[in-house]
Amino acid sequence: MKLVLKNGRILDPSQDLDIVGSVTIVDDQIDEVGETVDERGAFEVYDCAGMWITPGLVDLHVHLREPGFSHKETIISGTQSAAAGGYTVICCMPNTDPPLDDPALIDFILDRSASPEAGGVFVQPIGALTRGMKGEQPANLASLKRAGIVAASDDAFPVQNSQVMMRCMELCRQLDLPVAVHCEDESLTQGSSMNEGAMSAMLGLKGMPRTAEEIQVARNCMLSLETGCPLHILHVSTWGSVEIIKQAKFLGAPVTAEVCPHHFSMTDEDMVPFDTNWKMNPPLRTQVDVDILLGAIADGTIDCISTDHAPHAAYEKDRPFDEAPFGIVGLESAVGVTLTYLTHKGVISPLETIRRMSTRAAEVYRLDAGTLKKGRTPVAQITVIDPDVEWTFDVNKTFSKGKNSLYHGMKLKGKAMLTFSGGEVYRDALWAGGERVTA
Amino acid sequence: MHLLSIREMHPEKIEETLALSLQMKKTSRAGGKLPSLAGRVVGMLFLENSTRTRVSFEQAARKLELACCVFGVQGTSMAKGESLKDTVLTLRYEGIDSLVMRHNSSGAPYLAARFFGGPVINAGDGMHEHPTQALADAMTILEHKERIKGLSVAIVGDVMHSRVARSNLWLLSKLGADVRLVGPRTLLPRHPGHLPVSIHYDLASGIEGADVVMALRMQKERMDGGLVSSMSEYAFMYQVNAKSLRGAQPDCLVMHPGPINRGLELDDWTADGPNSVINEQVENGVYVRMAVFANAFEASNGKPKKTQKKAVSA
Repeated sequence: MKLVLKNGRILDPSQDLDIVGSVTIVDDQIDEVGETVDERGAFEVYDCAGMWITPGLVDLHVHLREPGFSHKETIISGTQSAAAGGYTVICCMPNTDPPLDDPALIDFILDRSASPEAGGVFVQPIGALTRGMKGEQPANLASLKRAGIVAASDDAFPVQNSQVMMRCMELCRQLDLPVAVHCEDESLTQGSSMNEGAMSAMLGLKGMPRTAEEIQVARNCMLSLETGCPLHILHVSTWGSVEIIKQAKFLGAPVTAEVCPHHFSMTDEDMVPFDTNWKMNPPLRTQVDVDILLGAIADGTIDCISTDHAPHAAYEKDRPFDEAPFGIVGLESAVGVTLTYLTHKGVISPLETIRRMSTRAAEVYRLDAGTLKKGRTPVAQITVIDPDVEWTFDVNKTFSKGKNSLYHGMKLKGKAMLTFSGGEVYRDALWAGGERVTA
Repeated sequence: MHLLSIREMHPEKIEETLALSLQMKKTSRAGGKLPSLAGRVVGMLFLENSTRTRVSFEQAARKLELACCVFGVQGTSMAKGESLKDTVLTLRYEGIDSLVMRHNSSGAPYLAARFFGGPVINAGDGMHEHPTQALADAMTILEHKERIKGLSVAIVGDVMHSRVARSNLWLLSKLGADVRLVGPRTLLPRHPGHLPVSIHYDLASGIEGADVVMALRMQKERMDGGLVSSMSEYAFMYQVNAKSLRGAQPDCLVMHPGPINRGLELDDWTADGPNSVINEQVENGVYVRMAVFANAFEASNGKPKKTQKKAVSA
């Protein structure tokens, strides 16, 4: 079966390609990419005029919540949410119950994500770095790697003991397995629920000082330099972290870093007081941090954009601010927020935007993704984005079970319109008959 | 109308409330007729230990013939794990007209206000605000100084964790006072940018020329957390006493929201001395809370139930 995506702006950072042309998919594989292609025999032709045709987006930081927390999200709903957001590959975090420290659990995730009800996108699990994510004993990392994990992380439970961390990194170096770290010195953040700053002082909420993040960024970067272990810094939120990462890269440490859309689009000043949809960890910082993060995305210090999609049930968020869980959903707002606050503001070009959301992200965890080159992905992974459509994000119309988003009701510019993982796995309601419809 | 914070309260509304409080006191003392709120029921949800504030609200309710139901965590289904949202919804549909709420989480009354149809009165939330205490303090100052505008007020001690300070600094500065926060670096906000105050780490300079000195309660657990070296060290540096008050105005008022640690933030002589108005603060608390109740029911036009349907979707 042949599908043709024509007249689109093809953005493929893996070949520095930015042309207007067409892409064909034959039997679920990318067949041709070029200014002119052979349309004959096409089962369906999508007219992508005015739109971008890009490699499927890649999200290195997603919480699918299964097993254990299926009231927040399931692999089924999470993958559907990913497809609707334009993602074809997502990496799921191990803070489930039980944590992903057992190869059998990796099998479960891979099986479930391949089921027909799922969103049709690829799920790449991230294993626990330490057993039970307790920060004491390394997990069975070799077995986990054979089962299919692409990285190891204790995510929300960062290893506090530096000796344990160093040993874990030595083991991961040996396995050539990236270690992903949420950086937080917990002794500085006990009982805290937002950024420590003028807003927390005003609201009487205990704040997380920026140094709590930076101390662990620095420690982990130095351990990466020492051990040679590939290190991925999750959700960088402060200007200090950016400077440390820049220095670590300069020194030759194999360090990569990601940023979340909320951290470069919002500050603690923007938050609605005591609204728990503005509570996440790391917290929203200040305008200085946002400005430095934008610069770091532009200059490549920050490698990629991840969502830290963290769904929670409504009853869990409907609690006093300091008691509510951290996190917001992100898969279905990421393209809109990134284009609105990054691309349309001229911080980076469309091609670089896709590099951060796809190609470079795939490189960080060495995934077969993020490219339109023929035969380089298991199946064709393509996203069609309408960069100019203006729409209002309505969290109640999302596929994710989590409705905890600070972007609810906000106007965004840019949206994923079609997602292909092999065949078409998502078609937006705003897409009609191959022609773009403005909202 | 809710009373959630002083920060969001209009200065005119503050002045009105203070005037009403003074009037309540006058009428009450003269044995005159107080407004009656008979037939209304106020729920007092005290989810954190409190004696003075709770009793003060109860007294205020009694004087206005307002029936009250008092709940603590132990007496409610919250001990069985019921959420705050559900507790509030239950009280609402049981016909409670107004909710007075004390909670150990900053902002909890905002959550209650989302789900409770009638007025919610914040009786202290975490480290955020304690609006009625600030109103009582301002009323006490007014009685003695006849004005707030132009006064210098020093708030001394653990400002970081103090909801009393966070309400007082807004109220006083909105009415034109110069507010100074005095204390060790570990107990003052590290980022005071949004607060209308000046910061003093030195007690002498903070108190210099002050018309009012408010000492805040030092909580013992702060010592264990290393925020101060020891009680004696704190007293040595920040105790409000005859010696440290030498730089203040001679008729400087000494205030404390209670309960006092005698010998720590205040010495006996100062707490019981001629400049101390601590007992008046307590007394005025009752009148202020009467005014707040009167406001709450007046503004909701005495029919809080009518607003219920609208608030369901909130």
